[in-house]
Amino acid sequence: MAEYRVLLVDDEEEFVSALSERLELRGIEVDSALNGEDALAIMVEKTFEVVILDLMMPGLGGLEVLKQIKSAHPNTQVILLTGHGATKEGIEGMRLGAFDYLIKPVDIEEMLEKMKAAARTVGTG
Amino acid sequence: MQKKVEEISRVKQLAFVGKVAAGLSHEIKNTLAIINEFVGLMGDLLKKEPPSDWQLYPRLEKTIPSIEEQVHRSAGMVKRLNRFAHSMDKPLTSLDLNELVQEITTLAQRFASLLGVELEAQPAPEPLQITSDPFRIQYVIFGFIERGLWRCSPNQTKVTLACARTEDMAQVIVTDQGSPEGDWLRKQIAAALSPAGISGEEEDPELGVLALTMAELGGFIEAEELGKTGNRIILSFPAKIPES
Repeated sequence: MAEYRVLLVDDEEEFVSALSERLELRGIEVDSALNGEDALAIMVEKTFEVVILDLMMPGLGGLEVLKQIKSAHPNTQVILLTGHGATKEGIEGMRLGAFDYLIKPVDIEEMLEKMKAAARTVGTG
Repeated sequence: MQKKVEEISRVKQLAFVGKVAAGLSHEIKNTLAIINEFVGLMGDLLKKEPPSDWQLYPRLEKTIPSIEEQVHRSAGMVKRLNRFAHSMDKPLTSLDLNELVQEITTLAQRFASLLGVELEAQPAPEPLQITSDPFRIQYVIFGFIERGLWRCSPNQTKVTLACARTEDMAQVIVTDQGSPEGDWLRKQIAAALSPAGISGEEEDPELGVLALTMAELGGFIEAEELGKTGNRIILSFPAKIPES
């Protein structure tokens, strides 16, 4: 049984597949979505403690997805993926209730630590 | 009116360059992120089931951290490119001159290394907040770094950029250990700022452009020779660009 469930949302398919496999190798249960609309649809069916969410996606942007997640699933913690650290969007994301952010390319150990800390706040991890 | 249109046009064109460069840097970051995950996955899989009978395995295992290191090195460069691109977004913004000098020094390091010259930023102990045009300030500072590097190149000496504050100005002091040229620099700058302006036939017409840019920013340049040991160029920026 995995310690917590993670939803990985990013429009870069190869990034999602490689990172999902790496997290699964570490015993984490991972689902993935390539856009915000699919992510929100998956979240209607399944519960996740942590969502890793890319900010820059075509269609429904990361900030809008974050707003909808926090509104419909207030207990889920969202960690943002950004290209360049403290950008305007990243700061806005934190203001909207994101738990933390990670800068691409991601350091897997840093990601694991942040996911664990996020999961802990919702009673798992 | 014509000058205003030219100014708006220049700002818009720069913003366009900045936007394209920032977009590209974002794409490069995504590509680096994918390479990073695949090489990480390769390492994870090899760790999980190391092939005991494969003689090349130790070599491959050593290669993975090198790829990861280069990915992070590239990510650092792309980050700097992105910040530089964003400096073209707004011709008037609040900025810390210390940070800007650190950034432009980092960007100029490659040029310094190629000439065998040491380049060092020396930030002021406190933030030097001003409201100005980050792109034009970087252009001016880079111009004087470049000239300092050329002067230092024959003896492979050093250029330093120290930040300081006077009562009403924020300063960048570019000191080089190259051949003394302070008197010549002063004459060139004075000629550029004279009513006749630059003609394009000067020994260094770009120096004239740097002087004019500095004047547009509401600042001024002082140049002096340090005996036979080099030159000091003081770039003084006002707290805010004056309204044109």
